[in-house]
Amino acid sequence: MKRFKLMSTLVAFSIMLAGCASSANPTNPASTAATGNTGTPAAAVKSNLTVAYSEGGTTLDPAEANDLTSDTLVLAAYDQLVTYGIKTEDGANIANTEDIQPMLAESWEVSDDNTVYTFKLKQGVTFQSGNPVNAEAVAYSFDRVASSSSGSFLYGMAAIKSVKVVDDSTVEITLTNANHNFLQIIAMYTFSIVDQKTVEAQGADYLKTNAAGSGPFTLEKWDPATEAVFTANESYWQGAPSLSKVTMKFTKEASNRVLLLDKGDVDMAIEIPPKDVASLQSNTDLTVASNASNRILFFAMNNNVKPFDNVKVRQAINYAIPYDELLSGVMYGQAKQMKSAVASNTPGFTDAGFVYEHNLDKAKELLAEAGYADGFTFDFTLGSGFDDWEDDAVLIQAELAKIGVTMNINKLARAQFLEQQKTNNLTSYISKWTSFVNDPGYHLGFLLYGKGSSNYINYSNAEVDKLWEEANVETDAAKRTALYEQAQEIITTEAPWAYLYEYNRIVGMSNKISGYAFYPDEVIRFYPLSFEQ
Amino acid sequence: MFAYTLKRLVQMVPALLGIIVITFILSRVLPGDPAIMLAGEQAPEETVNKIRQDMGLDKPLYIQFFSYIGQLLKGDIGYAYHTGHSVASDLASRFPATVELTLASILIAILVAIPVGIVAATKKESILDHISRVFSLIGACVPIFWLGLMFIYIFYSILGWAPAPMGRISGDLNPPVHLTGLYVLDSILSGDIIALKSSLAHLLLPAICLSTGTMAIVARMTRSSMLEVVDQDFVRTARAKGLRESAVVYKHALVNALIPTLTVLGLQFGFLMGGAVITETIFSWPGIGGYVTDSILAADYAPIQAFTLVSAVLYCGINLAVDLIYGFIDPRIRYE
Repeated sequence: MKRFKLMSTLVAFSIMLAGCASSANPTNPASTAATGNTGTPAAAVKSNLTVAYSEGGTTLDPAEANDLTSDTLVLAAYDQLVTYGIKTEDGANIANTEDIQPMLAESWEVSDDNTVYTFKLKQGVTFQSGNPVNAEAVAYSFDRVASSSSGSFLYGMAAIKSVKVVDDSTVEITLTNANHNFLQIIAMYTFSIVDQKTVEAQGADYLKTNAAGSGPFTLEKWDPATEAVFTANESYWQGAPSLSKVTMKFTKEASNRVLLLDKGDVDMAIEIPPKDVASLQSNTDLTVASNASNRILFFAMNNNVKPFDNVKVRQAINYAIPYDELLSGVMYGQAKQMKSAVASNTPGFTDAGFVYEHNLDKAKELLAEAGYADGFTFDFTLGSGFDDWEDDAVLIQAELAKIGVTMNINKLARAQFLEQQKTNNLTSYISKWTSFVNDPGYHLGFLLYGKGSSNYINYSNAEVDKLWEEANVETDAAKRTALYEQAQEIITTEAPWAYLYEYNRIVGMSNKISGYAFYPDEVIRFYPLSFEQ
Repeated sequence: MFAYTLKRLVQMVPALLGIIVITFILSRVLPGDPAIMLAGEQAPEETVNKIRQDMGLDKPLYIQFFSYIGQLLKGDIGYAYHTGHSVASDLASRFPATVELTLASILIAILVAIPVGIVAATKKESILDHISRVFSLIGACVPIFWLGLMFIYIFYSILGWAPAPMGRISGDLNPPVHLTGLYVLDSILSGDIIALKSSLAHLLLPAICLSTGTMAIVARMTRSSMLEVVDQDFVRTARAKGLRESAVVYKHALVNALIPTLTVLGLQFGFLMGGAVITETIFSWPGIGGYVTDSILAADYAPIQAFTLVSAVLYCGINLAVDLIYGFIDPRIRYE
């Protein structure tokens, strides 16, 4: 009896609760049904684009963004002072990172010693809040980058000394020294111009989860677990975008992104696995854009650790890499042979010095010359998270075994791998790299310059360092390129790495999408896209 | 019973304290540096150091611990760097998703497995019994990721019956009014039929997928405990006094056989809450499992700690609830 009472009380209570709930929101279900939950909403609205992404992003703050999804979110909502131009190569649109175009800055002047840039802002441009885009906002935005956690190093890379407001529409940026990468760097998402007044009114944390820019899209929703939704900023100063709504769906499982695209449930999907390209290409409703990216993959050998301190041993490893097998077997042809430490898309690239091919006899010969005729054993650290790395490592291991070299593979989780890598003590590993700034100086400065902050394998060559330093202050582009070419040739010959491949950036999309362009930073700009439905 | 409940609640406190200390130490002792993960691989050492300072990770461990406890006492469970949101808001959006998935899978397991177990036990050694045993074996063995991918391939890709494996509700629909966070329940409560249909359709495949293991365990558990019970004197007595077979089985035998099954279900609930990672990943289900895995991979301490704490509380709560339900099912069990 007691039990019955309890049960009936519970039932009565839950009914009451249900009653309250529905009466508290009497209009909501109906309005839900009217706005979204009717049968044919899509037909009435023009061009909604749904894109499948793998990761949900970590921040909306331009100064802190440093992952693909966050960068994409930022570029949809913000503008920068300048931007990259577009060139056409083999029928595909590709960003030209050397061709800097005006954006919020209408024009700029450079002092004779290349250290002072004076930007004239476009008149009448407003943020989405209605506040004007003025010199104050620019200075504020740059200062935010300087004091940010992730972006501050780019401020240093740009060599910015000070940002001065001259008048409401003029900003003067002084550099510590002439820097040919300056404009390229400030065209990045990091240097987006934020709406100072809104940020100051809302508090410092506002930008982490909200956007306050002048960009082509207004952020409706961002939930890293499910989706981000943007709607067109109809009063965008460059003209309203042709897409009225962009939904980014976060779908971690790569095979699902492929299925969703194939079935037409998303209109575009990024990070398509190479093995699925062929099957998607057979779908006549889809186009697969597979562009050579700047993302390189290399087999690094610690130049301080025996026997990799011996250049002949490193060269021998270069001759033992099964290049073609990696490209066709692991990457299904969606990659390109890497022939310099610098990506072939980067201005100033040269394959001079690249004489390596899969030749085990030559490898053995070099090992014998180095005094390792019987081979040797070494430790190799494999960071998890990338399927192809493991396949590569196993194939390389098998080839090395043929020349008497034993490669012990130790697998580490990504977080541990990055931590270990930073100790400069790993004997060998595979790693990828994409330079944010498409420039050999930036690239080599991190990776192979003696004091480079990501030179985890202690490569040090006085001549390379000298060439790099000279090029860094050289203002003549042609002379600079010549210096970088020399440096690349030395590096390739000395073989601190074995070059594996340059990844293709694979984006699958509906045939009805036009305006897609590939950017070396791999971030998709939604503004130029259009989608007929 | 009130005194008993209170006693159990008090006992939870040292257990939770222990969990707080252990998770705190474990998450920091394990390799992986959150500052490096946050800075990205192109950041130079100075940037990493700056982030480390900003996050307070340069301070000694005991100071970090006390500031964490201080935060906890204020009800602040921290900020998740890898999602850019506060842990509280992340948990608020993701916990209900996992609870909904787990509840649905347990419900499916109960609806399928208990009748199967009963049939298998009452028709022991019959063909039905053998079939049920083979299926339980398969259910316990089949890897969830394989099953999930197969489900998606067959029901979404080929047959087109299931919706796209993309979250909890169709992308073009608004989620139902937020009451409990469980979409199915919320749409029933708010009378949103369209949302109900869509959220049920999205829930079905992952829930079935997740329930297979539980189903197998519960079916076998019910079968064996039923077998123990049907041989006992009170069942013979019930038969002897001329009760219908259905009354003997459901009113006398089953009720007595349910206790072990209930224990298993309680444990399974806790297990599924954290163990739904694979299902969540495959179906892009925005739940807690995937969130915690990502946090671990990103060496993001706050969400790991918060999740462990919350699930410990939940686990203790479920155990307590199960113990109390024993009393309802079996009046011989008394609490002092």
